[in-house]
Order: sequence, then structure tokens, then C-alpha cells
Amino acid sequence: MVEPTWLLTGAAVSAVLGFGWLALAMDTHWEQVHGDAAPPPSLARALRLAGALALAASLGLCLGADHPTMAVLVWLMLLAGGAVAIAATLSWQPRWLRALWPRRVAAQ
Amino acid sequence: MFQNFRLSMAWLHTWFGLVLGFVLMVVFFFGSLSVFDREIDRWAIPSSRFAPQPMPSFDTILKPAFERMQPDKDAIALLDGRVDGPLPERFEVVRSWGAYTTHRDPVVSVFAGFEVPRAKDPDETVFASHALDPRTGAVLPQGQLRVGSEFFYPLHYSLHLKWKDLGTWIVGFSALMMLAALVSGVVMHRKIFREFFTFRRHKTVQRSALDLHNLTGVVALPFHFFFAFTGLVIFAGIYFPVAHTQLHALHELHERVEARETGLPHERAGVAAPMASVDAMVAQAQRRWQAKGMAGDVGFVYVSHVGDANAYVSVYRAGTDRVALTGEGVHFKATTGELLREDPPRSAVDSVNEFLTGLHLQHFRHWLLRWLYVLGGLLGCVCIATGFLFFVEKRKQQHAKAGSAGSRVVDALAVTTVTGMLVATMAMLVANRLLPESLADKGDWERTVFWSAWGLAMLHAFARGGALARARMNPAWREQCGLIAAGAVTAVVANAVTTGDHLGRTLAAGYWPVAGVDLSLLATAAVAILAAGRLGRRAKATATGHSPAVLATAEARHG
Amino acid sequence: MPSAAMTDLAPTPSRAPGRLPPLALLSRIGAAVLGGYAFCWGFIAVVHAGLYGLGMPFHDAEHLAAILGVLLYLVVFLWTFAARRVGLCWAVLLAGGGLMTGAAALIQRALLA
Repeated sequence: MVEPTWLLTGAAVSAVLGFGWLALAMDTHWEQVHGDAAPPPSLARALRLAGALALAASLGLCLGADHPTMAVLVWLMLLAGGAVAIAATLSWQPRWLRALWPRRVAAQ
Repeated sequence: MFQNFRLSMAWLHTWFGLVLGFVLMVVFFFGSLSVFDREIDRWAIPSSRFAPQPMPSFDTILKPAFERMQPDKDAIALLDGRVDGPLPERFEVVRSWGAYTTHRDPVVSVFAGFEVPRAKDPDETVFASHALDPRTGAVLPQGQLRVGSEFFYPLHYSLHLKWKDLGTWIVGFSALMMLAALVSGVVMHRKIFREFFTFRRHKTVQRSALDLHNLTGVVALPFHFFFAFTGLVIFAGIYFPVAHTQLHALHELHERVEARETGLPHERAGVAAPMASVDAMVAQAQRRWQAKGMAGDVGFVYVSHVGDANAYVSVYRAGTDRVALTGEGVHFKATTGELLREDPPRSAVDSVNEFLTGLHLQHFRHWLLRWLYVLGGLLGCVCIATGFLFFVEKRKQQHAKAGSAGSRVVDALAVTTVTGMLVATMAMLVANRLLPESLADKGDWERTVFWSAWGLAMLHAFARGGALARARMNPAWREQCGLIAAGAVTAVVANAVTTGDHLGRTLAAGYWPVAGVDLSLLATAAVAILAAGRLGRRAKATATGHSPAVLATAEARHG
Repeated sequence: MPSAAMTDLAPTPSRAPGRLPPLALLSRIGAAVLGGYAFCWGFIAVVHAGLYGLGMPFHDAEHLAAILGVLLYLVVFLWTFAARRVGLCWAVLLAGGGLMTGAAALIQRALLA
């Protein structure tokens, strides 16, 4: 049985990553981070899928750490924290998010 | 009245949000502090800075303390007008004894309910309550105010306005308006998904305040909704006292039926009888929980019909590992220790209700979730504060030109409610450390400092508001940020000097209640200094005519 | 400077509340707060008594009625502001509240008999 602290750390990281990917899927934020024009639709879809899966994984990790009634609350609050973290990063240091999904060289 | 649905919701959000926002700011801020109310108590009452203890022995520690208890003068004063003849001075017939402890509290809370002789209502009960040192049964000094659990926490749900529960009603209405503001806010916010992560810091105050208002409102929407909603559910018995008024007869019927079904007597027998060992009953309760696979600590012990042949003892398990509050009640006949009843598993409705109330009242042991709750509460505060800022910024120019004082008044009230509230909090903590421990009514003095500091902050905010007439920012924002920083640092230093429990010692010993408060105070000071700096730059920018973004870039380039 | 995104929000300051007739506004607020309260009181009373009568434990009925009642107050409050005619709101809320309160009284009488 994995130590709850590790599970919850994983859940927090997963929430931040998930929202990071969901943000990158949006044109304005992709431009903020990478400086180029919007990503192609297939890439945006992939980012949204990755984001959703990461948020779901976060819930799974929370459920591993606590009684279900508490796990759900922890998850919802981690989502709030994760979203704020990504919004703050986009506002102050958008380049830090480059690592989340390195720029694909344009097809041409 | 309104042209369409969105406009009606926008009007509602703006005006009810504005007026009740002042109350909600207080509720959210002191609610956030209340997450760690008992830790704040430890900081404020150094003699209670020992480790949390399990529920002490009833027979040797609690019972002697209970037998000495009598209601204090404030409790007796509440009986004014409810008794025939003069107010009684002593209360001999005890209805109930209760002892309550949590995993965070080194002290055990005890209360006793007494019958009131010559009362107009036969069910009238007067209460005495104390905090005891569980190691000795000694009563913790009465004059010392538990700043967290006895001041900040009740401020959060009642504004300390006790006349006819007026404060609780105001908080309740503002909670309902919070729910209305959340729904109407979502209706108004057309780009709720597109702007989920948007915070355009470098644009005008109006734009960036609105961005931050939307951001903090949306990302913690479940939190904001559920806290307002569960707060209303918790006090629903006060707001809609149906069972005690219109359906009172049905309530009485139910109590009689329940007494028959559960075997727990509803009335006294009128025959005096001694109690058997309660410790033995508590031990038996713990064994029964263990047998069910729910081994746990005792959270609450309650004795009904004290001293009577019909007396019974109820033992409840502390809900530290789940959201629902105390449960798994086991009930014993007080005179013999015979098991009368073990509470059956909860029904679906009861589980839902316990989950909702437990989610708000937080008796669980989960430090991460607690800190996340503080985050949620502070996000709520930012949401409300930025709402005020947006309201003022949007109207400042027009009001200045028209000579109207509207935005000036709102702005001064906003300063009072945002920074002024923090100034008052810091002042109280500093007073707590600087006033001597032995001062009688020390708590009254601390309360006076709190309210006076807040009053002075309001006067300051209004006095400095002249800038609004020229559509400039009120300098009181910056000045009060400076006061907050100074107050916070003073409080930390005062704690170190008066108790010797400075951060070096508390961190090394791992005594988190005090270390946590000190660290939070320092973090607050840091944020306040940063804010004051930012506000100073912005004020300079407006004065010189450059936009703050230009100034910031210029500063950055110069290194 | 006003942008497209900002003009669709609250009515411009020079027109609120001055533009909204004060008596009509008071009526609207009264209906939402007082009418809403009366309606929810009736709802909570009749749901509580009714569910208890149907066999639900007393406190379960009490809690469920309260939980639903609080949500109903929110809905009814918003509806009162969104509705075209405030007269309709007053009528529905007061009459509905009265009827439900009466029904609760009848249920109580029946259960006590």
C-alpha cells in the first residue's frame, strides 16, 4: 500500500499537468507559451485528451489515499489549486509551460 | 422590469453582490481562519500549548469537574424575562453533561445543562461550559479568550450579533445571496470555458480585476457553492424552525415514540440514583466499535437526566477518518452500566446530511484538505474583493465627473472590509501577546482592541478617500497594507519575546500549531509588502501618466 | 476602456437603480425575500410532515425537507428576478406557501389523531 503522501503528491502533480495540457489546447494560451499560431486541431484534441486523462488520474490517486467521501473533496480542491497554478504561470511566466508539450515544428 | 434573463441576473449579481459582499468578505475570511481555529487558540493561550490528548477518564477527571460547574453570570443573564420572579442564582437539577474532544485540541470542552426553576417554558435550559486540561481536570482560565474557536469562529457565522440571532440571520441571507451570485455569475460569464485560465495582469485595473474575479469564482465554484449551501443546511433549524413551531406537536409525538423504541427515557423518573463507572461504559463502547471494524477514538460523551434513575450515558466515536461527524453512538443505563442501545447504521438521508454538515464543520484529520480549504476560502475573499474593485473602477470616472460620491463610499467600505479587517486581526493578535496573562477579562480587552482597530481603519479609509473625487486610487489601500505587514511581524516577534516559542524552537520541536500561525503571519506580511509596493508603483504611474505596464517594463530593464 | 466583453454586463451606472422605479424594485425584492421565505416554509413543512407520515424517520424527513427547501429558496429567488411580472410571483409564492402550510397542518392533525 503506497504511502498516502506520495499518492496525494501524485494527484496534485497530475492536476497541474492536466490543466496545463487543457490550457495549451486553447489558441490564446498556446500562443502565450510557444509564441506561434494556434496548434492544428489534431494536436488540440490530443492535448485535451491528455488533460482529461490526467485529471481523471488525479481522482484515482486521491481515491487510493483516503476514504471516498474525503477523496472527492481533496480532488475538487486540488483541481482548484491546479487551475490557479496554471493561470498564474500563464500570467507571469508562460514560458515555463513549454516543457509540458514542446513545440511541434510546423509541417512545412 | 429587466429586458431579458441575462440582464436580470446581471442586476441581481451586481447589487446584491455589492451589498452582501461586505458581509461575505467577513464570513469567508474568518471562515478560512476558523479552519485552524484551535491552532490559533494554542498561539493565543500559551498555557494550553501541549499535545492533544485522548478523552480523559470520566470517573476521575471529568465527573469532579462537572459536579463543580454552575452557569456564569452571562448565561444567567440570558434568562431575563423567561423566569417568574427574580433570576435564580444556583441551579441544582442537571439535565445533561457533555464532554467533547478532537484530535486537534489539547483541551477537552465540557458543558452542563441545568433545569431552570420557575421558568415560563418547562423545557428551559441554562448552560455552563468550560475548557479543561485533560491531564488534571483543572479549568482553563475563564478570562482568557480562545481567539480562534471563541472569537474568529463565531464571528464567521454570527458576526457576534447575538440579539435574536440577528447576526446568524444576516450571515444566512448573505449565504443565500452567495448562491444566487454564483448562479447569476455563471449566467453572465459568457466565456466561462474560454477564459478559464485568463488573467490579463497588464491591462487596466478594471480588466484585470474582472479577470481575477472570474478566475477565482470559477475554479473554486464547487467549493464556494457547497460551503454556502452546507452553511445554510447546518443552521436550517434556525432559519426554518418548523419542527419547533408549526410541527411542534409532531416533534413531541416523535420523541415519545422514539423513547419507547430506543429504550432511552425521555423524562426523568424523579428518583435520585448514583451513576456507575462511566469509564467502564466507554471501554465497552470502544470494544464494540472494534468488533465492527471501526476502531476509533471517543469524540463525545453525553449524560442525560444526570443524577436520576432514568439517567443514561451516550458514547460517540470521533469522526477523524471520514467526512461525516461523530457517530456510532452506544448508550448505557447510567446506574448499572447495562447496554441499552447501539445506534443502527445510518439511513441514506442521514448519511447525506452527515456528509454535508461534516464537509463544512471539518472534524476530520486531513491536513492537506484543511490547507486546501484555506486556499478555497482565500480564493473566495479574492473573488469578493476584486468584485468591489471592478465595481468602483467601472464607475470611478463617471462619478468623479458627475461629483457623485457613490464610488468613493463603496471604495472606502471596500478598504474597510478587505484591508481594515486584516488590520483589526493583526491588532488583536498583538494585543493578545502584549496584555499580561493575569489580566482579568483579558478577553474583553482583546475584543475591544479588535473592534476599535477596525473602526479606526474605517475612519482612515473614508478620510483618505478624497483621491476618488479625482478618479485616483485611494492611498488607504497601500497604507493599510503597510499596517498589516507591520502588525503581522510585530505579532510574531511578540510571541517569541513573551513565550520564548520562536520559530527556531517550534520548528525544531515540530510544534505545528504555533509554528503554523507564525509562518502564516510572516507570509501575510510578505504578501502585504508586495501589494503595497505594487500599489505604490501604480499610484506613481497614474500620477505621471504612464501605464503601470510601461513603468514595470522600464523598471525590469533597469534591473 | 469599454470593450465588447464588458458592455454586456451590469447596466451602466447612470441608469441603475435610478432608472428602475423604486417601488417596483422594492416589490420585486419583497417578493423574492418574503414571498420566497413563505413558499419555502410551506414546502419544508409539508415535505417534513408528509415524509414522516409516509414512514420516514422524523429527523431524516426534517433534514431532507431542509436540504431541498434551501435549494428551492435559491431557485425561487432567481425566478422572482427573472420573471416578467412581479404580481405573478407574489401570487404564486404566497398562495403556494399558504396552501403547503395548510396541508402540513392537516397532515399533522391526521398523524396525531
